[in-house]
Amino acid sequence: MKQTPEMDRIQQEMHPGIITQNGFLGDDSRHLNDMLQEQDAEIQRLGLTHEQIAARLAELRDAGVQGLGQPVRVEPHFEVTADSVRGRLPCPFMHGVTVGKLNTTIRNLASGETITVTDLTIHLIKDHGFYGGHGAPFAITPEHLARFLELT
Amino acid sequence: MVLSILTAIGVMTALSGGLALLMVIADATIGRYGPCRIRINDSRDLEVEGGQSLLSTLKNEQIFIPSACGGRGSCGLCKVEVLSGAGAILPTELPWLTPDEQKRQIRLSCQVRVKRDLSIRIPEELFNVHQYQARVAGLRDLTYDIKEVRLQLLDPPAIDFKPGQYIQFEVPAYELTDEPIYRAYSVASGPDQHGEVELEIRYVPNGICTTYVHQHLKVGNTATINGPYGDFFLRDTNRDILFIAGGSGMAPIKSILSDMVHTKNPRRTRYCFGAKAIRDLFLVDEMRAIEKQLPDFKFIPCLSAPDTADVWNGERGLVTEVVDRTVTNLDNLEAYLCGSPLMIDACVALLKKKGLPEDRIFYDKFA
Repeated sequence: MKQTPEMDRIQQEMHPGIITQNGFLGDDSRHLNDMLQEQDAEIQRLGLTHEQIAARLAELRDAGVQGLGQPVRVEPHFEVTADSVRGRLPCPFMHGVTVGKLNTTIRNLASGETITVTDLTIHLIKDHGFYGGHGAPFAITPEHLARFLELT
Repeated sequence: MVLSILTAIGVMTALSGGLALLMVIADATIGRYGPCRIRINDSRDLEVEGGQSLLSTLKNEQIFIPSACGGRGSCGLCKVEVLSGAGAILPTELPWLTPDEQKRQIRLSCQVRVKRDLSIRIPEELFNVHQYQARVAGLRDLTYDIKEVRLQLLDPPAIDFKPGQYIQFEVPAYELTDEPIYRAYSVASGPDQHGEVELEIRYVPNGICTTYVHQHLKVGNTATINGPYGDFFLRDTNRDILFIAGGSGMAPIKSILSDMVHTKNPRRTRYCFGAKAIRDLFLVDEMRAIEKQLPDFKFIPCLSAPDTADVWNGERGLVTEVVDRTVTNLDNLEAYLCGSPLMIDACVALLKKKGLPEDRIFYDKFA
């Protein structure tokens, strides 16, 4: 599907070397519009909302922050490590929001799987319903994320 | 009639050709600003080619402004005073500049493009920052996620730095980056080892530099660093010292302690080091050896969540809890903190709450 010039500009911001070294799109050649629509449809199929996903991630992040860089155990069986580095990143949707560089690494002790999300990831999911393009750093599909967080 | 049509086609072709030529010329010239002069500290001039950022232009002239994000305007570190020639402050700079800094014409050098003559002011100590070619002389796993990197300096063959300062390590282009990037790491070795620089680098998932160091760097490889930078170093007073660190925040504290041993520093010193479990502790034997070498030094490792198999009789809890319990007299104390920004913020808040004046708390957030 064609997309607006504004969406083109936002997608341009997501390319490697603009906001982050490796960008937000990975090897995904779809229009940003299409990615957003497909990811939104996936969330609806799961009976969830972007806000629910982001809220759970934020809850785990907030618990992790209490560990001051050390892993923290969170019920029922997550281990969360939050660690920040100096600096802030602007949201690629260009609406004046900047987000601190906080990485949250979450280990699901039951499945043994580990994911890392940034505060920008959480913002992009909550406010824009964007989960990243295929193969992008920190990108994770809605279905995968919902399963990992045990929301389905 | 035919002649008119042919004439019209000819005129149109000529106009299109002219426009295309103009576009080619514009493409080749716009963005090139020719030679520009940068006047620094009212005392020295650089003749440079315009067009690049001030940060890159100065780097090309061997003047290194510290930057932690590779010039993307996301770390806010590369501030310089630009007295003239920079134009208006860009929206990308605003989040980093306080109103007072804006008034003092402080700018992010990565965002200022050199388009005309500039006059700038930078700290004199930046003229002591140099680039060094080095060889990886040793790699050692300190924990499962922290690696010690020992660099033998080749050209120049020695570096002078204050213990506690940091250098910038260049990551060459490899699978995670198309262009060289720099990242800042504190020096862990003492300044008496002029020909070597030791770093402690913790692996960060997806980290461009840490992935390179942990998965690609080999003994014998060449490396480029520049430095030294930073104002995290031991103040020359007679106060008691409290070091607080976690993870790779050990590095600058180790450098300071090495220097204290070398200079036989008698100050009362306590060092609280936070880790989760025994597998996250490292250099404990080295710290115990320093306890024997310094007259009044105590190393206090603390574990926040030991593994079930860990046999541990030492302090337990977050490093802030241990500091709260064990540090009671702050009358004659200076605190030096290095670790994750989260840990530092929590420790600064705790120490202030306990009554330690802010000007006696020194920290380095480049964990």
